[in-house]
Amino acid sequence: MLFAWMLILAFLAFIACMFEDLESDIGSQSNPNSQIQLAPEMGYIHRYFNKAISGEGLSYALSCTISGTIAMLILLQLESVGPKAAILAIPVGAAVGSLVHMVRSSVCHVGREAAHKRFEQPIYLDVLYGHLLPIATHNFLAVICITAIAYIQSNLGILSGVAGASNPFPLPLLCLIWGLTVGAIGSSTGDIHYGTERAFQDKPFGEGRRVVYHGQICRYADCGVRTSKDVAAFCAKYGGPATGLAFGLIVLFENWRTVIGMTLGGLAGPGWNPSLAAAWGIGIGIVIAVVLVILARTLEKWARNKYGPFVGE
Amino acid sequence: MIETLLLVLVCIIIGGLLSSLAVHLMPVGGAPAAMATATGIATGCVMLMTGAAVTGLFTASTVASFWVTKPNVILVALSGAVGSMLMMGFTMFVGNLIYIFGAGIVPCSGRVAVDPITKESQTEYKTPRTDGHGVPPASFVSGILGGFSGGFGGALIYVVLVSDSYAHFSVATAGIVAMGIFIANAIIAAYNIGGTIEGFHDPKFKARIRTGLTCSLIVSVLCGVIIVIAMLTGTLAGGVM
Repeated sequence: MLFAWMLILAFLAFIACMFEDLESDIGSQSNPNSQIQLAPEMGYIHRYFNKAISGEGLSYALSCTISGTIAMLILLQLESVGPKAAILAIPVGAAVGSLVHMVRSSVCHVGREAAHKRFEQPIYLDVLYGHLLPIATHNFLAVICITAIAYIQSNLGILSGVAGASNPFPLPLLCLIWGLTVGAIGSSTGDIHYGTERAFQDKPFGEGRRVVYHGQICRYADCGVRTSKDVAAFCAKYGGPATGLAFGLIVLFENWRTVIGMTLGGLAGPGWNPSLAAAWGIGIGIVIAVVLVILARTLEKWARNKYGPFVGE
Repeated sequence: MIETLLLVLVCIIIGGLLSSLAVHLMPVGGAPAAMATATGIATGCVMLMTGAAVTGLFTASTVASFWVTKPNVILVALSGAVGSMLMMGFTMFVGNLIYIFGAGIVPCSGRVAVDPITKESQTEYKTPRTDGHGVPPASFVSGILGGFSGGFGGALIYVVLVSDSYAHFSVATAGIVAMGIFIANAIIAAYNIGGTIEGFHDPKFKARIRTGLTCSLIVSVLCGVIIVIAMLTGTLAGGVM
């Protein structure tokens, strides 16, 4: 049962991080935002949504903590209903978190674009209105999954029937932790597909974006003028799922090695040995890290052989 | 009592110093790395390290709850260290997957001509007018070590705060205080780095690590003194949350 819940957690983590990355692409949040911000200064008037509320980690930590706090309050109010209260508490919490995120997005976009008036960048109202709903919906899916993860982890002992499996942190703190992590991962991985490839699609493929290209973003879509919604459609094919995979694997292996350690340490039985359980978890984690280093080296070697040295000027 | 207070202070200082060291070991490319204009992970030092540390903190909190009383400090800290290390490992690996298959770019260092681990040349793979791209093997190993160091530091602070043998804070208070001390150290280290860094092989690491650790020592002592005062006065005993 514990392993089944673990797989559900990994699946939720995959969905959460994928939508987190796509939401940040729609809003041009985080690192590639530097290019959207720079573009008007370089004479590249654009129709991208421009929000950089804060780093993605902090932004998502706030959304998820709001969601977790509201959910916990509802759960406390409906304590007599039992675990079924979570069906109402988690979506309501996530909805409030997303609404707050949407408010921050709209204020941020308008403020940033107004500051670009000196470079003749207009505030396109259709861009503002058209992007707020996709931002809120993608954010909602990410936040609801994170809140569900936090809820399951803080009640895992009851849900799986294994005493001691619950995490001791309260629901809002778990939301804060996973919100920070999901934002940090979305910022570290998914942004590359947007910043390197999609934002500079009219530049040569297979090379780093030279400093001279900075600000010269691609402003035209397959048909018409590009908006940030086109970015999400592109990144959903690779960058988003890859980012989801990163977070999903982290949650999967973090829980997996702890559960395996607990099982080998005599899971909630008379022979329970906490030191042995912890030691097994550490040992398995180190083995996974070594495998990752070997895989990374193999991948890098493959890329060097396949692509070869840089060709061109 | 005095021994306990001193031990808590020392553990917080060690945890803070390890956190600072961790941030210096991170291959951080910041915003330029998102455009493959710089080597490293495409985000800021604080964001990345905090994400890794809280992942470790999550595992550390689970492992600390294995013991009814008096959790084993070293095992809990090591569990946190491995958690952060795995977070870093998967993030860097998937980052490289996107660089290689999403943008067709070979990971290479922009700061050294030869990778210190594989001894392979980097220069001819680098795009001109960039500072390298992707996460090459030396940076990958540096990131793994950084994750381990940061996770150990964060979890060490957490476990001495939560343990009933030491500070005996509530679980939530200990988690938040550990996170606070960690972030303070990470921000100081980020200011010290001032932009991007590739890891232990980056000349910047050698040039700035002493300043970073000195500043971290000051910050950690200050944080430690505040914790000791809280312990003496019983302000956070049993937790405010």
